[in-house]
Amino acid sequence: MGTTASHLPKDLLSEYQELTFLTKQEILLAHKRFTELLTKDEKDHQNTRVPMDRILTLPELKSNPFRKRICHVFSTSEHKDGSLTFEDFLDLLSAFSDSATLEIKSHYAFRIFDFDDDGTLDGGDLEKLVNCLTGETDDTRLTPEEMRQLISNILEESDIDKDGTVNLSEFQHVISRSPDFVSSFKIVL
Amino acid sequence: MSTVSEPLVGSSRSLSATKRHKSVRKNSRRIYSAYQDHEGSSDDEDKDDERVDSNDPEEMFQNIQHAREIVLKYEGRLTRTRGYQTAGADLLKKLSRVLYNVVVLFIPWEVRIKKIESVASYFIFLRWLFGINIVLTIMTGAFIVLPEGYLQYSVLFYGYYGRVRKIGSAGYRLPLAYFLVGMAVFAYSFIILLRKMAKNSRLSLASASDENFTFCWRVFCAWDYLIGNPEAAESKGAAIVNNIREAIVEEQEKKKDTSLAVLISLRILANILVLLSLAGSIYIIYFVVDRSQKLEQEKPELTLWEKNEVSVVVSLITMIAPSAFELVAQLEMYHPRTSLRFQLARVLVLYLGNLYSLIIALLDKVNSMSSAVPVNPGNWSDSSAFLATISQPEVDSLSTLVSDISVSEHRNSTIATIATVLDVTNSGRSSAGTSNQTALFEKNTRSQQDQCWETYVGQEMLKLSIIDMIFTVASILLIDFIRGLVVRYLSDCCCWDLESKFPEYGEFKIAENVLHLIYNQGMICMLIYYLQAIARSLKFTNNQLRMQLQTERTEDKKKVFQMAAARLQAPEAAADKKPDQQESDVTSQEASVHTPSPRRNGSVTNFQSPVRRGNSIRTITQSASRADLNRGSVAGSVRSPAVTILPKHRLEHIPNRPPPFLGGPGGTCRSKSYHHMAYNPPARYPDNIHSDPLCRKTVRSIHPVEAAGIITAQSYAGRRGHTTRYVIVNEHEPRKKLLRSATRVPRHYLMEESAEILELYPRNIKRYAPRNTHHQLHPHRSHPSQQHLSEEEEEEEEGKGRRRVSLGKAHRPRSLSDLHQPAHFYIGERAESHVSMAKDSRTAQRRYGVQEEDEEEDGEGEMDWGDLESHSRFQANVRGADPLLVRTRRHIHSPGRHFQSPARTRPMESHVKPKTRPKLETPLTESDSASLASSSDQQNSSTDQYIQVIHNKERYLKSEARQGKLAKKKSKTGFDINQSESHDLVSSNV
Repeated sequence: MGTTASHLPKDLLSEYQELTFLTKQEILLAHKRFTELLTKDEKDHQNTRVPMDRILTLPELKSNPFRKRICHVFSTSEHKDGSLTFEDFLDLLSAFSDSATLEIKSHYAFRIFDFDDDGTLDGGDLEKLVNCLTGETDDTRLTPEEMRQLISNILEESDIDKDGTVNLSEFQHVISRSPDFVSSFKIVL
Repeated sequence: MSTVSEPLVGSSRSLSATKRHKSVRKNSRRIYSAYQDHEGSSDDEDKDDERVDSNDPEEMFQNIQHAREIVLKYEGRLTRTRGYQTAGADLLKKLSRVLYNVVVLFIPWEVRIKKIESVASYFIFLRWLFGINIVLTIMTGAFIVLPEGYLQYSVLFYGYYGRVRKIGSAGYRLPLAYFLVGMAVFAYSFIILLRKMAKNSRLSLASASDENFTFCWRVFCAWDYLIGNPEAAESKGAAIVNNIREAIVEEQEKKKDTSLAVLISLRILANILVLLSLAGSIYIIYFVVDRSQKLEQEKPELTLWEKNEVSVVVSLITMIAPSAFELVAQLEMYHPRTSLRFQLARVLVLYLGNLYSLIIALLDKVNSMSSAVPVNPGNWSDSSAFLATISQPEVDSLSTLVSDISVSEHRNSTIATIATVLDVTNSGRSSAGTSNQTALFEKNTRSQQDQCWETYVGQEMLKLSIIDMIFTVASILLIDFIRGLVVRYLSDCCCWDLESKFPEYGEFKIAENVLHLIYNQGMICMLIYYLQAIARSLKFTNNQLRMQLQTERTEDKKKVFQMAAARLQAPEAAADKKPDQQESDVTSQEASVHTPSPRRNGSVTNFQSPVRRGNSIRTITQSASRADLNRGSVAGSVRSPAVTILPKHRLEHIPNRPPPFLGGPGGTCRSKSYHHMAYNPPARYPDNIHSDPLCRKTVRSIHPVEAAGIITAQSYAGRRGHTTRYVIVNEHEPRKKLLRSATRVPRHYLMEESAEILELYPRNIKRYAPRNTHHQLHPHRSHPSQQHLSEEEEEEEEGKGRRRVSLGKAHRPRSLSDLHQPAHFYIGERAESHVSMAKDSRTAQRRYGVQEEDEEEDGEGEMDWGDLESHSRFQANVRGADPLLVRTRRHIHSPGRHFQSPARTRPMESHVKPKTRPKLETPLTESDSASLASSSDQQNSSTDQYIQVIHNKERYLKSEARQGKLAKKKSKTGFDINQSESHDLVSSNV
């Protein structure tokens, strides 16, 4: 309490350690970075929610095309505004940590890509996903023809049950064959 | 705690701080209290704390220091206990890990499979299949092979099991066990498969292999979330866009390359090619099986290639076709996963189609082999000879053979009977009823050659699986190993890169290889039921028979003549000759008998041939039996001797046959008897003594069913109804076994002697010949066959041995078959003997113990004989015998049949018979015993008529003594039918 550096109770710390893939140091660092986002008023309150726009000022997320989706996926807010508590923030970092398993990573990746939160990746989700990757500028954006082609190819490759959408198991099947997904699906503060 | 307390220490010594410290300390104390060792000390500390509270800050600070130490101490305790827990957990983990490692050691090949890794799934599946097969082997081994332990009789074959409920000395119900184990194996396989399928169903969707997710990866896995630098993110985004566009363009170019129309036409073409290759493979299999059938019929000895042609071709198809499909699949330009599925489906269809077409072709072959015999005249004579042989073997072999061969025989016999029926219809015109019987016999002989069809199919499957394995190993060696060596060591001296271009390294295609495993397992499952054990004995006997037939074919006639002389001198020699001839005769007779019941006939013939071998001079008999087999398959070799007789027989048989064939229904019983016969042969081969025990066994088995002879008769009777069943029981075997053998032997000798012509043993021939040339001899000849039959029957009946001494003529009188038989007999030997017979014989020199039911015999015999010239005489004789025969029913040996048929006809004409009867009667008495045996058969089917030709009067006497009243009656029936028959025959033949 006396030091500004650490106001995280020991028992809480160990509890977080149990519940995440993060180490003690990573949790303390995350706490430090998170508290920096707080205003003075908010520091006095526990479980303060940090709005998404302030979260997205973090350089690690600032450039990520899926930053908003990431915030929404990890947000426990009832308003679905993408605001994060410290625990949500830890969840985020945990999923993107080194130690997280492929299954967890692919699960969260699927949720991130599932823009309409309906449990499957349909054509609309894929289109938004591609648009996020390519950006919104005209020169980089795919033409509708290319987009249609791309989506049909993706579905042809991954849609094993031929229902026109990619479900979680199909997605995980594809992801698990990728040599570099685990190494790229990381966020380190 | 320590971390919390530290800031306190660092901060001002406020009350709140002290309170906090206090509470911390209390908390720690509570925790500490758990450790009883330190309770006392904790109390002291409490006191100290209270003092501290009341003292100034300095003391407080000291106390705090003290408390801090305690806290550290507690913390140590706490961490230590927690350490124990974690240590325990770790230990558990390690233990489980060690346990798992140990368990892994006991899972076969687990370690090796882990090393292989890349294609582990294939080997895991292979291991799973291996485990299943081990269990199947244990099941059949523990409950079928071990309890009885007679592998030499091929307990594992369907053919081993007849109607006998218990096999072996311990009363172990082997047939029941066989059935239950079969069901258990089926249930086990089913459950295992079901469980595995349920387990894998979830994974199946996502388990596609060999996939390429170009687009998915370029989208889903494109972003590197570690990127925090805006510039890096920008360049990364640009790279991603380029990647995606690149992939899209590639895909579009692919599609542009081949228009939709071209693609569709290509795919249609590919499917047509695949269908063509599938149809071609099926046709090739059919063609090869057909070819092998022709080769077997044309050549006595097959080369190694000819023997294994079918298996090699099938293996080649299974090896080459998948590769061809793969080439074809490249035309279709499907996505790799789609093409893989097409490939697997096509290969699966190929494998299944190959198996089905192979089995269907083999069954076709079995059918045609059994049916083809009747068509050929030569076959007829052969069949007759077979019948004669069969009759002898029946006694001994019935028990063993019946069990093994029964199943297969039934099938064969059914086919054979059908064919025989047809034949009979064709030939029946020539000589009324006799032809039918002969036809049946022929069919039987063929079926005998085929052995059990299950055995045959099993052998083919085994061959196929073995050769398939050889091909697999060879392909691994040649295509993969040597190719790998060439690619690795010659790539330097080549102008292109061997490793990445043309030859490349062999690729292990898991999917295809797994399918191949399934294919092999399918063959194993079929083996379980068709070839549970390699029918060593059957194969061996077959081979032996073929060999003997080849060698003996040429020698048969010579031997027959020699035998005739020898027989006159030595009954044994006669017996030997007789067995051969008898075999042929018996087979023909049996065939005829079987004709009513096609299945049984075929089986019977097979059995008979082996049996006969044993009974007659062992070597001779064996050769004869082989010859019979050869005849069936090769026809030429065995038939040659019989052929001379054949024409005659044919004529006679043909007339007779048609009716008997119609009677066909009785076949089942017959088949059983035949089965018994088949079993006996092996025994016979080794020793007469052996044959005897076998015979006894057979007899046992038969008894339950009905004595083998009886069974046959019954079957005939049952099927035919009115038509009498003619069971030719060779007395030779029974003689060996029983006293009958002694009496019979003389008869046989007599038979042989009398009929130099008789060499043809085919029932008709022998009988006829004796009739024509040497009445006495002829009777003997006919008798031997009949006797054999009667003996068999007797043996079957276990000494009941009611042989109707009535000569062959008397045997079959009952049914149409009887009539046919007489005709047949005449045909075989007729040509030669008939002339002489006609001249010499109508005197009742030939004594044919016709042991048929009087009723049947009468009706049939009348028919046939009525047609024939000497009907009156024969009929009289036969009729006289008929009553006796009818009672006994059994005596229908082919020779006997011929005689019997006359007798049967005669019974109708019984009035004339009395004259001949007295002559015949003496022999008949002996034959009566046989007839008595047949009477036991009667039990099964009263309608069935078994004609036992008792050549030796002595035998008859003995048999009579044994059989008692029945025998006497039969002996009465015994007539010089031969003479009359000979006349008839002559007429028919001429």
